[in-house]
Amino acid sequence: MSEKKIKNIFVDGPIKPAFIADSIAKHSEKTAIGGHSIFMGQVRKDEIEGKFISAIDYTAYEDLALEKMHQIREDIFEKYPLNCMHIYHSLGKVKTGEICLFVFTSSAHRKPAIAACSEVVDRLKAELPIWGKEIFEDETHQWKENI
Amino acid sequence: MKIEMISFGKIAEFINNQKIDVDGIADTDAFKQYLENQFPALKSMKYKLALNKNIIQENTEITNNATIAIMPPFSGG
Repeated sequence: MSEKKIKNIFVDGPIKPAFIADSIAKHSEKTAIGGHSIFMGQVRKDEIEGKFISAIDYTAYEDLALEKMHQIREDIFEKYPLNCMHIYHSLGKVKTGEICLFVFTSSAHRKPAIAACSEVVDRLKAELPIWGKEIFEDETHQWKENI
Repeated sequence: MKIEMISFGKIAEFINNQKIDVDGIADTDAFKQYLENQFPALKSMKYKLALNKNIIQENTEITNNATIAIMPPFSGG
């Protein structure tokens, strides 16, 4: 593993649309970029046995998650010619309709950005030690499982 | 042998973070055995261990003052 600094990806609570807009705006100075790809995960109001989900409460094994994310980041940069990549994941409570994951990749032409974005989302869901507790409107809960 | 146990997600609802001092746990297979005896609910669950922040894929030796995380299937994103 390289000596590059391990970046934090965790955000307290939902990821605000204004934060995402700001993140996009910051790239106007990076004029070598010709294509961005963005994925946003939103908490869905699932219905389970007649009860609706009202929020997901996220927890993580933060140290291990950040180390894993660092490895994934290095793999992806090695595989695709990207100009930059930004990843944010919520911790704590995120209500239905709010954003809990934001992945943003950029490259000179669109294809690497799109492929890298998709691959980061897949790997992040499978490999990062993060857990979502689905909270129902009546305050009962169940634990989310990624399929 | 001193081991610090930390647990996450669904498993944190019935295993508290704790420090244990036990003899005869030389590797992660033995630790799993110990865990499932102490917490029978684990037997029917899927979980992974991380020994000193390394996710365990095969039986691994445990040294004194290890930290072992007990982790149910991940559900980020």
